Amino acid sequence: MAGLKPFLLVEDNPNDIELTLAALESSNLANEIIICRDGAEALDFIYRRGTHEGRQAQDPAVVLLDLKLPKVDGLEVLAKIKGDPATRGIPVVMLTSSREETDVVRSYDLGVNAFVVKPVGFDEFFAAIKDIGVFWALLNEPPPHRGGWPSNA
Amino acid sequence: MKPSHDDEPRIDLTACDREPIHIVGSVQPHGFLLVLEPPSLTVVQASANAPAEAAVGTSLDAVFPHLAAIVRRHLDEPGAQTGASYLRTVTLTSDAARLTYEVAAHRVDGLVVLELEEVDAAAADLGLDVLTPRLRSFVERLHAAHDIAELCHLVAQDIRAVTGLDRALVYRFDRDWHGTVLAEDGNGALPSYLDLRFPASDIPAQARELYRRNRMRIIPDAGYAPVPILPAATPSGKPLDLSQSVLRSVSPVHVEYMRNMGTMASMSVSILIDGALWGLISCHNAAPKRVPLHARNACDVLAQIFALQLSARERGAQAEQRLALGQVQARLLGFMAEEDSFVDGLLKHPDDVLALVNASGAAVVTADRCRLMGATPEERDVRAMYDWLSGRGDTDDVFVSEALSETIPGAAGYADHASGLLAISVSKKYASYILWFRPEVVRTVKWGGNPVKPAVPDPAGGPDRLHPRKSFEIWKETVQGRSLPWSIPEVEAAKDLRASVLGIVLRRAEELAAMSEELQRSNKELEAFSYSVSHDLRAPFRHIVGYSNLLKTREGANLSEKGRHYVDTIIEAAFSAGTLVDNLLSFSQMGRNALKKVTGDMNALVEEVRRKVLRDVPADRAVRWEIEPLGRAYADPVMLRLVIENLLSNAVKYTRGKPEAVIAVGRLPPKDGEAVFFVRDNGAGFDMAYVDKLFGVFQRLHRVEDFEGTGIGLANVRRIVERHGGRTWAEGHLGRGATFYFTLPLREEAH
Repeated sequence: MAGLKPFLLVEDNPNDIELTLAALESSNLANEIIICRDGAEALDFIYRRGTHEGRQAQDPAVVLLDLKLPKVDGLEVLAKIKGDPATRGIPVVMLTSSREETDVVRSYDLGVNAFVVKPVGFDEFFAAIKDIGVFWALLNEPPPHRGGWPSNA
Repeated sequence: MKPSHDDEPRIDLTACDREPIHIVGSVQPHGFLLVLEPPSLTVVQASANAPAEAAVGTSLDAVFPHLAAIVRRHLDEPGAQTGASYLRTVTLTSDAARLTYEVAAHRVDGLVVLELEEVDAAAADLGLDVLTPRLRSFVERLHAAHDIAELCHLVAQDIRAVTGLDRALVYRFDRDWHGTVLAEDGNGALPSYLDLRFPASDIPAQARELYRRNRMRIIPDAGYAPVPILPAATPSGKPLDLSQSVLRSVSPVHVEYMRNMGTMASMSVSILIDGALWGLISCHNAAPKRVPLHARNACDVLAQIFALQLSARERGAQAEQRLALGQVQARLLGFMAEEDSFVDGLLKHPDDVLALVNASGAAVVTADRCRLMGATPEERDVRAMYDWLSGRGDTDDVFVSEALSETIPGAAGYADHASGLLAISVSKKYASYILWFRPEVVRTVKWGGNPVKPAVPDPAGGPDRLHPRKSFEIWKETVQGRSLPWSIPEVEAAKDLRASVLGIVLRRAEELAAMSEELQRSNKELEAFSYSVSHDLRAPFRHIVGYSNLLKTREGANLSEKGRHYVDTIIEAAFSAGTLVDNLLSFSQMGRNALKKVTGDMNALVEEVRRKVLRDVPADRAVRWEIEPLGRAYADPVMLRLVIENLLSNAVKYTRGKPEAVIAVGRLPPKDGEAVFFVRDNGAGFDMAYVDKLFGVFQRLHRVEDFEGTGIGLANVRRIVERHGGRTWAEGHLGRGATFYFTLPLREEAH
């Protein structure tokens, strides 16, 4: 389904990836889920460079971003996305273990759309992921795509 | 045009200070003066009364070879002393007569000044053999003298006896150079000046300087006609400096002053202590009288012995006082070192603070506090004094005044408590002072003549020409607004205290800086630790919980009953470990987040929390809430909400077994500036033996099977309340409920 925007999950921990995928799976969303294992790869995906150079020109429905990431950390990725007029419209949800107030404050300062602390409880965690998925995939109306004529390239 | 009264130039008493009395250019007529140019000893200047043979241009060798030989011998002596040296007695035969002279010589500007003073044949009987026993007995009596007054009296007696003059005074200069007659000996021919004060202008500055440089001055006849020195200038073209001269003519003002006093002859000997002019022994005679040289020499010796003795006594007295004050200071230092704040060390020992400088009152004043000890002015007056002191700008660290009302506006109003002020600045940055006060001591000073009018202008209108006052009638003045003076050891003791305080404050500051560095470091470590706990320790617990759940829901069918029980236990254990980490994190954050205190309605807050807590209460439980009016409180609402939430949820939790839970929230009457709140329940309660463990981190008094929890809730309550400056405590009985109290400091405006 070409119309459905993908979810971008930026997470380095394989356990978290698996659990998040399990939770998203249970919400019965059809969106494709792209997984990036570090901040640099996430930016490559957003900007369609490196291994993601040839991908379809479509912004993700939402970026689920961990804070602590190898190479480029979550806050840097957030700053880059929200600091660029071309990508500012992409919804970013911090999905993290950190409860540090400074992280929360800093994320909101950078323009994060939501900050979710992964609950320890399984049911709560599933519910949270499901809510996030449903909200950003179905309920949220993203800003209209401001691209010009389709490129010939 | 006649000048109006207002235009008249003010009589400037310092005009006397400007009179060039050391280059007066004339001598008194009881001897003659020759100025010789070495090595030829040619006469270059001579007083007009010098023998005609010794005319300017002649050589002394040619005229008085005997005298020339004496002078040469004097010049050959090594280490020529300053001041005139008496060489010997000579007899000169000149054209006029055969006369006996005492010869004195001194050098000035490369010239030799030779002074020949006529010997009064009648006075020659007082030889050295007569004087020696007197000197010896004087020294013995000086040693026996009890105090300075007695010393002064002895020296006055002896000097008068040696000189045979009518009256001898011991005259002491005070700090302002006014003089007071401390002792007197007289035969009644002249009026008594004992205890009288004389204004500083009577002996002007340059006269005092001459007294200092030339210890003895003699005027045998105030009615003399000055004899000029000719030519007026030395070969180098300057007027002759007569500072060291024994025959020097004195200022006409001084001669007039003497005549006005009714004295025709005078002699004075300077008393120097450590090179400074302490006072004079001033002798007068109603009629003209010459004091022979050996008598004067004896007086000089007497005066020097007296000065030595005086200086020893004064030093002794000061040393004694220093010692006494030093002991007080050592005690205070100990007290200050014991306390966290040096101020407490002082405040707890007011007697020593006052004794340190013999004050009757003291105050320690900082920008926000003013603490008084002993007899002091009102606090607002002390504060005004403090404002004045700190407003002086960058001045001395010690301020000393014995007449505060002359310096600080409004000080006359509290002169009875503080006419004297000794103040030290102990912190420039925070403008802190220690002040000591002395009360007013009203005294009557008897002046020898009105000190306000010590001189009148010359009626003939000569420029700068002054006439000394004619009246020496006693003029009484009541001195008000003055305290006893602060002695040198007292001022030094205050300075030493200042140094000690600065030392202590500095050491404290260093300790604090080191401590805060250490704290900052450990705070940083804690932050780093809690950050990693937050991120890295939480994750594995989440994973355990997550995977166990997946196992249970997706593979549960393949597990035995026992297997499912194991999985449940894993989930439960990992979940509680995760919760523990969360609680630990919130506890550490609580200590680090800044408090944002505002005043708010306690009942509204309690109600909000109660609704939240109720959501977790099973519907089948009966809970009766008894919430009293709680008023307002001044606290960080986010933090305070956590306190209430912990206490209410605890109350709900521990009343679980009761058929009807009764939870009361109330407020006790304020005590010691604190608002006291409590939360009471009729639940499980606790054994008072463990009350100390109640508020500890991870301390639990119940088994997990009975009541779930991590043991962090009450630790959070205590931590938050203590950060607000309040206290927490609890009372309880096993099985009969518990009451938890917490206090919050009252804000002045909040009640």
